[in-house]
Amino acid sequence: MKKKSSSVVFFLFIVVAAFLFLCASVGTAVKSVFADSAGLSTIELPIPESEGEKEYLGLTGNGNFKIGQIKARVLIIEVFSFYCPHCQRTAAQINDLYQMIEKRADLKGKIKMIGIGAKNSRYEVDSYRERYLVPFPLFPDQSIEITEKLGVKGTPTFIGVKVDGKGNQEQFYFGEGGFQDNQKFLTEIIRLSGL
Amino acid sequence: MKGQKKKARAVLCLSVFVVMTGVALAYGQSTGFTDNIYPVGKLKPTDSVPKLKVADVAPDFILPAVEGGTISLSQYKGKKNVVISFVPAAWTPVCSDQWPGYNISKKLFDKHDAVLIGITVDNIPTLYSWTKQMCNPNEKLWFPVLSDFYPHGAVAFRYGVLRSDGVSERALFVINKKGIITYIDVHDINQRPLLEAIAKALEEANRQ
Repeated sequence: MKKKSSSVVFFLFIVVAAFLFLCASVGTAVKSVFADSAGLSTIELPIPESEGEKEYLGLTGNGNFKIGQIKARVLIIEVFSFYCPHCQRTAAQINDLYQMIEKRADLKGKIKMIGIGAKNSRYEVDSYRERYLVPFPLFPDQSIEITEKLGVKGTPTFIGVKVDGKGNQEQFYFGEGGFQDNQKFLTEIIRLSGL
Repeated sequence: MKGQKKKARAVLCLSVFVVMTGVALAYGQSTGFTDNIYPVGKLKPTDSVPKLKVADVAPDFILPAVEGGTISLSQYKGKKNVVISFVPAAWTPVCSDQWPGYNISKKLFDKHDAVLIGITVDNIPTLYSWTKQMCNPNEKLWFPVLSDFYPHGAVAFRYGVLRSDGVSERALFVINKKGIITYIDVHDINQRPLLEAIAKALEEANRQ
């Protein structure tokens, strides 16, 4: 009898552990348990063709670049999808976040933003940019290689990374599912990054 | 015997853990859908026998629409190019992240003088709830969504895209204004077709 009850307890423990793991995976605005700096350092993105985007990111020439080479102190990455209704609904809000940063003299140039289009082609990312007039650089990730390296399971997901412009990066924030208040989000990014 | 029981218990616990965590780890869709999507796993890419080919006359049909009334293919003949998007089933992973992209692409269809028709084998109430999740509150999809529920999958069957388990393939048909099929893509059910494939197919439809 005693043995039977201990089996039940053990079984329940496994179920609860799996449940907690599931909750952690879909939770919002939590520090990352997925991606690490090592994953980030292997990510390469194509240098944008647009001169304006190159200038914004502090990049020159052609070829690829690493996240840590972006000229800023903090990078906010939005992993989105052209096909994601949640991303579509919040596109204007995220544009506002960009404008909010650009309008603050103490943040402009220090916090920059990019978007990664999970499973999206260049055509789809361009269509999304055009549809929502996204002012920050967007990169397609059709093979979802980058999305997987970032540990992203759902869109939108926001990732905060400290960068130094010399190739070094460190992730400090990971939030799945978006956020309601830009000001609160920005305050949190500033606090967690130590900016 | 005792060892076997222990082993069976361990396998059971491990299975529960794997299944529950698998739900979270499966590469996802929009987080807006996360709690409501049924995980179907990886399916046989295609599971039907083609009945139609490019240059065939598109079979006419009449089906009930989510918005009420019925829609027939023939009502567009001589007026618009038509893109038919069959998706397998409501509340499944890839399908839930396909039409929301088309919903923000009306301009693309307008540019090519085309309409889009979405079809699944689900019934109207299911399609009503599901498609409401695809747009902003108080908004609707701009294109009609039709129910091929009864007789079950009859249109999908005529188009050669009814799978053996009763859902349809993930398939795109482009039909020009003359009612002729100009493009067929019976896609891998596990993957979403690219938007540019539709753009290219519509350009071609306008040339014919």
